Amino acid sequence: MIQRQDFMKRTHIILLILVAAAVTIIVSMFGDFSTYETFASAAKEPGKQYHVIGFLDNSKPFVYNPEVDPNHCTFYVKDKAGNLNKVIFNGAKPTDIEKSEQIVMTGSMQGDAFRCHKIQMKCPSKYQNDQVAIGNAS
Amino acid sequence: MEQVQFIGEHLMPGKLGHFFAILSFVMALFSAFTYWRAAATENKNADSSRSWQLLGRNGFILHVAGMAGVFITLFYIIQNHLFEYHYAWRHSDLSLSPKYLLSCFWEGQEGSFLLWSIWHCVLGLIVMFTAKGLESRVMTVISIVQVALASMLLGFYLGPDIKIGSDPFILLRVMMQEAPIFSQPNYLDFVKDGNGLNVLLQNYWMVIHPPILFLGFASTLIPFAYTIAALWKGDYKQWLKPAQVWSLFAGGILGTGIMMGGAWAYESLTFGGYWAWDPVENASLVPWLLLVAGLHTLIVFKATGRSIIITIILMCLMYLFVWYSTFLTRTGVLGDTSVHAFTDEGKALYWHLLFVLGSLMLLALLLIIARWKSFPRVKTEEAVNSREFWMFIGSFILLLSAIQISITTSIPVWSPLAKAITGKDVAPPTDVVKHYNDIQVWVAIIITLLTATILYLRFKTSDNKTVLKRLGITAGIAAVLSAIMAYTQRIGDARYIVLLFGSSFTIVGMIYYAIKVQKGQLKKLGAASTHLGFGIFILGVLFSSYNKEVMSINTMGVMMDFGKKNASENARESMENVLLYKNTPVVMGEYTATFKGDSTSPDDPRVFYKVAYERRDTTTNKVTESFTLYPDAFINPKGQEENSMSPNPDSKHYLTRDIFTYVTKAYDPNAKTDDTSQYKTHKVHEGDTVFTNEGYLIYAGLNTNLPANVYDKQPNDIAVQAVLMAYDMKGPVDTLYPLYYIRDQYAYQLDDTLQASNLYARIGNIIPDEKAIELKIKQPEKEDDYIVMKALIFPYINLVWLGVIIMALGFFLAMLNRITKKEKAVAA
Repeated sequence: MIQRQDFMKRTHIILLILVAAAVTIIVSMFGDFSTYETFASAAKEPGKQYHVIGFLDNSKPFVYNPEVDPNHCTFYVKDKAGNLNKVIFNGAKPTDIEKSEQIVMTGSMQGDAFRCHKIQMKCPSKYQNDQVAIGNAS
Repeated sequence: MEQVQFIGEHLMPGKLGHFFAILSFVMALFSAFTYWRAAATENKNADSSRSWQLLGRNGFILHVAGMAGVFITLFYIIQNHLFEYHYAWRHSDLSLSPKYLLSCFWEGQEGSFLLWSIWHCVLGLIVMFTAKGLESRVMTVISIVQVALASMLLGFYLGPDIKIGSDPFILLRVMMQEAPIFSQPNYLDFVKDGNGLNVLLQNYWMVIHPPILFLGFASTLIPFAYTIAALWKGDYKQWLKPAQVWSLFAGGILGTGIMMGGAWAYESLTFGGYWAWDPVENASLVPWLLLVAGLHTLIVFKATGRSIIITIILMCLMYLFVWYSTFLTRTGVLGDTSVHAFTDEGKALYWHLLFVLGSLMLLALLLIIARWKSFPRVKTEEAVNSREFWMFIGSFILLLSAIQISITTSIPVWSPLAKAITGKDVAPPTDVVKHYNDIQVWVAIIITLLTATILYLRFKTSDNKTVLKRLGITAGIAAVLSAIMAYTQRIGDARYIVLLFGSSFTIVGMIYYAIKVQKGQLKKLGAASTHLGFGIFILGVLFSSYNKEVMSINTMGVMMDFGKKNASENARESMENVLLYKNTPVVMGEYTATFKGDSTSPDDPRVFYKVAYERRDTTTNKVTESFTLYPDAFINPKGQEENSMSPNPDSKHYLTRDIFTYVTKAYDPNAKTDDTSQYKTHKVHEGDTVFTNEGYLIYAGLNTNLPANVYDKQPNDIAVQAVLMAYDMKGPVDTLYPLYYIRDQYAYQLDDTLQASNLYARIGNIIPDEKAIELKIKQPEKEDDYIVMKALIFPYINLVWLGVIIMALGFFLAMLNRITKKEKAVAA
């Protein structure tokens, strides 16, 4: 067996290759990461998927008619920049969404509405901030 | 402030409990100090060391007694519904079934730390009597960790704003001082009931999963403590056996605990699966991956004297990640990214956990640096045909896998930093599951391919011919098997075909290895069984996720663009919920599903929705299969969350697939009870038809020839019956005979009802001139009775559970084998 120099064992070479591969994968996975946007910034790239954090506007009606379409909710959300926008959620109405103090929506801007397929809510419990399960369409 | 005498409080248990908490904290400190002295004086003065050690033992036993006292006291408070204590009020109520009493412990933060700590006590006592020469060092580490955990239960104030730990025995009136009711001496008269246990925890998996998971977490301390002890002593022989035995124990228990969580999620959560790459799930998976990696390099070190450094690093990293997981899941730092319900205990816990994490990291790091030069190293390099070479690579892949999972899971932790640098507010990937799957599938492929290969190889060097022959046979069988499976299961994606081959390779290889090499000796089957289980598990994951099918595709409504590749995927994405009206069958895949109504029982807060499934032969139209599922939902009767719904799925389990159903929305049962529907009047002649919700009624005429006993007839009555034939879409169902009679010049009506459709028929008036009657029909609007539900098929999900069971058995077989085996001299 060939005796290589101590600092360049075969294991070390393979490790280097693996680390290089891992770094490549990790760097490329940053492309997967999304960003938190506002309605306005999400509108700059219509159709691209973003997260938007906002608050449900309870003064406007929450429309969900399962008789017509059990996968269709329409409501209005005020984002962190304070802009009100129409939101369409494809899924059943998330339980207790009226009581949520904050919601995170995953979806994209299409036309004048933000269309989302995933909603995560933060609901106030009586004395504690409990996280409550999401309404997830996917 | 003037002192108020409160009425009806039980203050004794709280004082006792708090005393126990302080006792256990002080005794943990004492034990850590005395064990440390025992270790430090070991070489200088054996007698003194022995005395210190005895003190340490007694200290630890007293510490255990204190912890047990805290546990029993808290249990007493919950069991006796002493709602003057915040913990009992917050996490239990009078209606709580006794089997969930223990669940109150893991709903609250204090209870979880207590449970974790109790397991450390149990394991610590075992270690105390088995660690022999390493006892003082291992027990020092265990005691230090116990100091950290016991401090979580103190609830001491250092100044007005800094609080250390959280006292589980705090009184409700102290916790909520600002509420005016607590200034009344008789406030307890108003606190009749507690807040109750989260309904999600009222599930049998939630009785068994948390204790097992916490035992798993607790048992990872032992291999870590042995590693630190070995570093401290500078002796890398003594720790090998116990570290390996305890790693096997921890690996088996933690793995089982994690997958029990998966089983719970599958059975009672509605995200439709057993694994969602949720941060909380990842947080327990990462330590397990590191532990398994460390276990393998430990075996390499034991057999060949190589890989000591990576073993020690992996063992330390593994335990640091246990605390990092606690930090992630308990402090609310995950914020918006996790679905798990954990409380935000605020800044105090945040810094407390960071302090513990930092201290442990410093301890491990300083010891490794101090010992760096003296680690035993092997100058030569390992052969490519040796087991250790590939085992090392496999472990390294597991480490990389853990790193990848951690980076994505930790987005909320590092995103403020990223924002400061780049200005971008980084969020998790929009499709988290795809993100992890796309990367981790390669890890699974490499690991499944390595598993059989490694077990065929021997340490140091192998007979190439034998190995290649065995690999060839295994690969051949696996290729045929995977080709058949890919074809029958319609698996088309290249990556998943490779994974299919990989898992078949592992399964075939392990069976071959168990029979041919280990000759089926049960004692030696640990490794074969664990890896066989892993292969079966991966196969199950592949089948059940790749061919997971949504049955409940809605065919009405609007299609939305979700940026999917084609229209049918878009349709699928937007139509996974289906509306079922009561008694109206809806086609779902090969089945028709019918919502038959709901039911409740007085001692169960749940509403059960009865959904009947039927499958018919397409040619003969005979029912070939039928079953009924009862997905249910908790309708919360209390407080702010009144009438909120928390659904639980129900599944029909077949050997080869599960049909999984849950309700996403239902009509409001309260709105249903006040019956608002009105009678509608129809003027009908003989032979006329009236439509109903399910079908129609045909008025066949009047019948004056009444059968006896249809009503309480009196001699002068004039009575007639209308004959109404009821039909549904399939055909005749029943005949209704509403009754009309005149007694003493007054007209009376008796309704007849069609129970199944909730239909009431009444004769309003008789119009003899036109040979007609006014028929009054009442039937609640269809919309009143409906559910919106989702139905999914998971093919071969039983392979997932089978794999987990075989894997866990393998861990314990290997552990037993290690314990009973006489150790050979360590190669160094």
